[in-house]
Amino acid sequence: MSSTITKLVTPLKEEADSLLSASKPLTATPTTNRLIRRKADFSTLIEALEYAAQGETGYNFYDSKGNLKSVIPYKFLRERALTVAKKLAGFGLPRHSRVALIADTTPAFVELFFACRYAGLVPFAMPVPVNLGSHAIYVQQLRGMLESSQASLALAELDFVGFLEEATAGLRNAEFKWCGTPQQLEQLPEIDVEQSANTPNETAYLQFTSGSTRLPRGVVITERALMSNLRGIVCDGLDIREGDRCASWLPFYHDMGLVGLVMAPLAAQLSVDYLATRDFAIRPLQWLRLISRNRCTIAFSQPFGLKLCMMRARESDLQELDLSCWRAAGVGAEMIRIDVLKNFAAKFASAGFNESAFLPCYGLAESTLAVSFPGVGQGARSLCVDTKTLIERKVAVQVQADGRKFNEFVNCGRPLAEHKIKIIGENGDELPPMMVGSILVKGSSVMTGYFNNSVETAKVVKAGGWLDTGDIGFLHEGDLYVTGRRTDVIIVNGRNIRAQDVEELAEQQPEVRTREASAFGISDENGSTSVVLVVESRLSSADDRQLLINRLQQVIYMAFGVNCLVELVHPHTLPRTSSGKLSRFAARQGFLQRNNFEKLSSKTAVQ
Amino acid sequence: MPEITQAQIAEMLCEQLASFAENEMVISAETNLITQLAIDSVKLLNLVMEIEDYFDISVPLNTLVDVLTVQDLANLIYKIKSASK
Repeated sequence: MSSTITKLVTPLKEEADSLLSASKPLTATPTTNRLIRRKADFSTLIEALEYAAQGETGYNFYDSKGNLKSVIPYKFLRERALTVAKKLAGFGLPRHSRVALIADTTPAFVELFFACRYAGLVPFAMPVPVNLGSHAIYVQQLRGMLESSQASLALAELDFVGFLEEATAGLRNAEFKWCGTPQQLEQLPEIDVEQSANTPNETAYLQFTSGSTRLPRGVVITERALMSNLRGIVCDGLDIREGDRCASWLPFYHDMGLVGLVMAPLAAQLSVDYLATRDFAIRPLQWLRLISRNRCTIAFSQPFGLKLCMMRARESDLQELDLSCWRAAGVGAEMIRIDVLKNFAAKFASAGFNESAFLPCYGLAESTLAVSFPGVGQGARSLCVDTKTLIERKVAVQVQADGRKFNEFVNCGRPLAEHKIKIIGENGDELPPMMVGSILVKGSSVMTGYFNNSVETAKVVKAGGWLDTGDIGFLHEGDLYVTGRRTDVIIVNGRNIRAQDVEELAEQQPEVRTREASAFGISDENGSTSVVLVVESRLSSADDRQLLINRLQQVIYMAFGVNCLVELVHPHTLPRTSSGKLSRFAARQGFLQRNNFEKLSSKTAVQ
Repeated sequence: MPEITQAQIAEMLCEQLASFAENEMVISAETNLITQLAIDSVKLLNLVMEIEDYFDISVPLNTLVDVLTVQDLANLIYKIKSASK
């Protein structure tokens, strides 16, 4: 293969370039489409693109200053994807081979993603590196995903391809063929291969859910699951209508960014305005300016993104914004605290933001993206439940009397059509409304499993096709209220961190033995979560102990971008179950007691 | 802006970073941003914003993965600044 690549470095077709570099200024794709709207009633993603390509709408990419950088109408996306698909065909890969893409917010990523689908290949998005000093760990994470997916190709833009080259250098996949940039792919010849059309039962893409280096899990999403979820989002969730336009800063490697703000708009022929995640994170108000300027009606964020906007907005910023157009302000991807929404609404009310636009929803990658939505336009509703009853009896009782301690939970709405939610107790029995237990989901957008990993799949996909979400909550009048996560996932500033991954990193240190580290999250009264790592240590010198603590903090930061509280304890301090497994829950209780966080313990016992 | 050296950049960063430090810690070029200053993701974004505005540069994400100390960061800024001329 490599010999063909070097031989065929011919000048590119000039058309694509000249389109972009034409002297007239760029114009974003319009909000109004002449094409009759179809609401995600397609059987495959390519069918959705073929239809959208008949209209004028599409994707628009903006730079950090808010200037329009590239415009990709769906019509153009289709042509580009078909061209790139012919280049991919040159590799002669078997149908359904996996293609890894480092997903920066660029036109090249969407072109490649759809090109893979035209070529009968299965793409998946990998994250861009974001943490200080994370070079080595990032490369390990990439390698983990490439191995777990048994990828045949890997592509990244120039900024990131160096990491891919490092990650693929020691790769053990026999099927791995090539790693390069979209520009290098562009130089390959186009090969005409008759592709059979995609069918609903085929895998559409994989979605990785964690940056674990040892056990990355790729969620397998079929065309049927995807289209079912898109229909749910477009029809039940957002009730798409004339005049809708989306704005997004969400990363393309995240399910909410990819399914919610790349594929759903396409399936409803909507235009989208993109801001790179990095640019949003540094200057969050650019997102609000895009919404205001382009009269966008739909934009989603994690609660953390809303907090960033609040932290950075000045009075002068508020005056120049008009957010009255924003009718669906989706919030999801982490526990939603009502305070964050109330504060955001209060801050931006003077800029025309209407709090009835809030759309707090629930979902997870294992069910493609969305599981439940509240009614559009009803805003964020919540329920105040008695803390004591919640902790002691796991029942949500609405507070009646003043002065009782309570927890306030956000209403995440009802399941999408073709989906059901049930709450089960520890013995697996279904619980009645108001009883707190594990949230299970069943329906047409639930994954078929984790790629090539029946062990992990069996842990979450239960009898009857019920998916155990790993989250805890209750139902009330048919609406879902999420009260917390289980102890195996720690969510810090919108990032999901698996406790197991933190423990693994600790155990890679020579001083730490396996099963002698326990990681969990603790939350303070404002709801911010910190990662805590308790490690059993035999070191006696204070200097050695401090060095180990520093090193642990550094590797955890590099891997996850968070600060970690490290506590070294004597051997045999960490509580174990009868089978010798560490109990994170008990380890957390012990940590809170030793450090006099008793108050925290009652506050967060429900989480 | 007149020619600026790596040492000058490092010195300026030390001053700026003083706001992140706890209990009057002395910040030098060798200070580790993660273990000694506990720069979390929010602080990092603030820092990048200030650096971009101050030096009138754009700091690509991929370059931060090799930064551990104040000196590393100063070298990076110097490199971007020189390349953008």
